[in-house]
Amino acid sequence: MRIFILYIFLYIFVFQGTAQISDFSHISFEKADEIALKYKDETLHNLPDLVYKLTSQLDTDAERFRAIFKWICSNVSNNYGLYERNKRNRQRYKDNPARLKAWNSKFQKIVFKRLLKNRSTICTGYAYLVKELANLADIECEMIHGYGRTSTINLKTLDSPNHSWNVVKLDGKWYLCDPTWASGNPNPESNQFQFDFNEGFFLSDPKIFAINHHPIIKKWFLLEGETPSFDDFMDAPIIYNKAYAYFSGHTYPQKMHNAIQRNQNINFTLQLQKEVAEKDVNLVIESSFRERKIYPKEVSIKDNSLSIDYKFEFTGFYDVHLYIKEDLIATYTVEVTR
Amino acid sequence: MKTHITIPKKAWYAALIMMLIFAFNPMYGQNTSAQKGRIIKGTVSNPQGPLEGVNVILKGENQGTVTNAKGEFTFPVALETGDVLVISFLGYESIEFRIKEDTTFVKAILSDEVIEIMGAVNTNKRYKSKRKN
Repeated sequence: MRIFILYIFLYIFVFQGTAQISDFSHISFEKADEIALKYKDETLHNLPDLVYKLTSQLDTDAERFRAIFKWICSNVSNNYGLYERNKRNRQRYKDNPARLKAWNSKFQKIVFKRLLKNRSTICTGYAYLVKELANLADIECEMIHGYGRTSTINLKTLDSPNHSWNVVKLDGKWYLCDPTWASGNPNPESNQFQFDFNEGFFLSDPKIFAINHHPIIKKWFLLEGETPSFDDFMDAPIIYNKAYAYFSGHTYPQKMHNAIQRNQNINFTLQLQKEVAEKDVNLVIESSFRERKIYPKEVSIKDNSLSIDYKFEFTGFYDVHLYIKEDLIATYTVEVTR
Repeated sequence: MKTHITIPKKAWYAALIMMLIFAFNPMYGQNTSAQKGRIIKGTVSNPQGPLEGVNVILKGENQGTVTNAKGEFTFPVALETGDVLVISFLGYESIEFRIKEDTTFVKAILSDEVIEIMGAVNTNKRYKSKRKN
């Protein structure tokens, strides 16, 4: 009997494959996307009505959730002004819980007012809206708080949670998504928000998600077995938006900062989620004096895994950027010694 | 002596109109035990006062209404015992209200959803190490 229970336990908690979008490869989200586009002029004044419009013509929860997610990510903009204001005050009051609480309560009102009026918000507003609309469509969905890492977040000052995203239960399984990062980016010139939907943040693979998302509550990694520690997360390489388009996981190097000796191999291994040609894999190597693009000779693609080996001939400190064609995937630093 | 009652034409018209009104007007005041649905009114507020623009919908249906400036609403369709109203407003915790046998008026108080507000901005900017030289 005990063994039986153990097997059931193992079956439920261990043998459940990681949940990701490929589980829904038999579903086309075209219709859901069309509906999201059709109602682009809707406001947030009547949420139940909005949910009804977005979901009533769709047959599966996955499609219904997709329509909601797509609508939010293509209609709610990221408000950098609010973000800066919040960051400043959270930093200012971080050692004064009473002031921080007062600020949070005040800021919350500002955030919801802005969301309703201008359809613009910051992370938590996105996550809140996804949860609220999904719940109205009778889909189980939660907000997850934790840490998010990008190339511009100074990790040394990252001492409290800075990001929110969602988990959603579809066909009895939890999935990850990040509506804020799926919606768009700052325009490189004007620094204003621009919409640019990123498919990779919808039902993402938990393995790659864990490289730059670290939930406060461990179970929301949705990973089997051991989960990364906070130090692992802080030391991990920087991955970019496009990484989510090509890869489902990142194995080596495990750290952002690496030290090797001259002519010693450094290996990069990532798990692919779509086909990549070996000739498209390139590295941009930046030293204090120059930047050069190289097509490494030792690239292999086997069993959905991309492996690159590279040797540095000269000592120095290098920023190494991994690209697929022109798409920036990840950054590492390598210190090469004698 | 025989009195002759003449009814003026106008009165005939009035009678006809009265009859039409009764004929096409649904009957009210039925026996309460046979009563299936009833019109429910209510108010929605937060601890500070009435809330305007709150959505009140019948769960599972696309039928609902919005509260006025005084936080009042009248549900547009007759409700039955066991129906559930979902009362929701952006930034507040939604509540569900089940219509009981004796419910005629709904008084809902929404509380602020306490959320720690955060935000990490996404970027495609390439990382660059800070170098001394």
